[in-house]
Amino acid sequence: MKQLFHSVSLISEKCIGCTKCLMNCPVEAIRVKNGKAVIYNEKCIDCGECIKVCPYGAHISIKNSMDDIQRYKKKIAIPSVTLYSQFGKNVEPDVINEGLLKLGFDEVFDITFSCDIASETLKKDLERVEKPAISTLCPTVVRLVETEYPSLVGHLVKMLTPIEISALIIREKYQGMGYKNEDIGIFFLTPCPSWVTKISEISKNENIRINGAIPISDIYPKLLKHIKAKEEDKINHISRTGLMWAYSGGQCRAIGIENSIAVDGIKNVIKVLSDVENGRLDDIDYIEVMACSNGCVGGLLLVENPYNAERITRHINSKIDFTYQIHDFSDIESKLVSDEEIDEQKDNQKFSTNFENAVKMIKIMNKVINMLPGTDCGLCGSPSCKAFAEDVAKGLASLKDCKFLNEGGLKGEG
Amino acid sequence: MEELLSVKYDIVSGDFIRGGEASSNLKKLLNQLGIRSDIVKRICVACYEAEMNIVIHSVGGYIEAKIYNDKIEITAYDYGPGIPNIELAMQEGYSTASDVAREMGFGGGMGLPNIKRSSDEFYIKSEVGKFTEIKIIIYFN
Repeated sequence: MKQLFHSVSLISEKCIGCTKCLMNCPVEAIRVKNGKAVIYNEKCIDCGECIKVCPYGAHISIKNSMDDIQRYKKKIAIPSVTLYSQFGKNVEPDVINEGLLKLGFDEVFDITFSCDIASETLKKDLERVEKPAISTLCPTVVRLVETEYPSLVGHLVKMLTPIEISALIIREKYQGMGYKNEDIGIFFLTPCPSWVTKISEISKNENIRINGAIPISDIYPKLLKHIKAKEEDKINHISRTGLMWAYSGGQCRAIGIENSIAVDGIKNVIKVLSDVENGRLDDIDYIEVMACSNGCVGGLLLVENPYNAERITRHINSKIDFTYQIHDFSDIESKLVSDEEIDEQKDNQKFSTNFENAVKMIKIMNKVINMLPGTDCGLCGSPSCKAFAEDVAKGLASLKDCKFLNEGGLKGEG
Repeated sequence: MEELLSVKYDIVSGDFIRGGEASSNLKKLLNQLGIRSDIVKRICVACYEAEMNIVIHSVGGYIEAKIYNDKIEITAYDYGPGIPNIELAMQEGYSTASDVAREMGFGGGMGLPNIKRSSDEFYIKSEVGKFTEIKIIIYFN
């Protein structure tokens, strides 16, 4: 299998082989082997739940640092809209952007401009994809659909995300000014690990290449030194509608899609995607789906809690009366739709490419399930008895690993 | 021809909380078998509707799925009350669901027509006071 890069990874030395991550991974991508956690890359969706629950700091997010920006002649920051919710309600977005310039960036790109463009392409997408359309802003959700809900791939909207749109605009601008593509360093200030992974995937396309992702939680203490609350009333050159993309439901409201729902939190997302698969939600136009609680403001790499962050965003929003009036974007429209073929092969549930082999393996799995206690103790290193039976059928675990079977004298085996 | 695999799920009447589990479990099995995703979706829709029919309208029953080389055969059986007029029940929009079920978005009278639309072959038998049995076949290719 092709090696996939993941931001979420494990520092083996710190792992003591407890079962916290094992039990909390929403897609059962973790096993404990020889006393250490192992992440199955083909299953991992980079949601970061394991990072949250690990008491030993063994799960981490691979990321870039401010040192990495020095390699480029032009250093451009694309801050996630969530950045503006991290410093309380009296710090204006422009003050935060000025702080970023002091940290060494040459330009801070206004991502709310790209949000407003994305809103327009999204409206057209609603006609292009299967109903209900599913948002693609959250890379964890896209991965979840590809790996666990392959039948819903046709529901994913095709718009480029605001982050990609920003990179496209920045590259065109600086290349137009005579800069070589490799001299332009674009860095996304990210609220979550899943964007780190996504950026490494999209960097293969040089038109929208983003050179790195720096966690907002890392840049926060440095930025704090340059920020003073409200020296004067600033005029914020930022879009009210764009800023709303930060929290759950904001995107639907900014675009004005009435017949829509907004889902947040990975467990809720899984439930709603199952409902879509069962055909229960066919009369909905659009589903805004975010893996973190309350949307992007719930990102793991942020400082403020998701609900206060929403309040702060709303407060800032109430003082802004500006939105980009995007009427005509025909000059770049053709570039705003993702041409990336969504890879259904990422579907990893398949036991075997051969149908008969798969049948045999399922028979083994069913036989093993009947022997197990169903207590999901996790001592075997698999997250549940069912998952263990699946692992045995796939040859990834041995019946000897089950403490119950061994102490019970392997009853039922034969 | 004998089936390669078969699974059976008991369905409890009135259990809206767990209603849908049979189709979720079946979906997982089909994905493990590597069945094409558009076919899985059709099976999901048909099985879910059949399952919810049993939850909403019957006193309880079961869903049995038999998997063959080239097709799946799903039987949804319940122990009554039975359908007096099948022709009427097959009409879109016709429903005898309770207000509670309707408020939850179920019982819009789309169940049976939806099952039929999603399947390649559809058979229904019923006897008032005794049972209803729906049998559907969906081919993998």
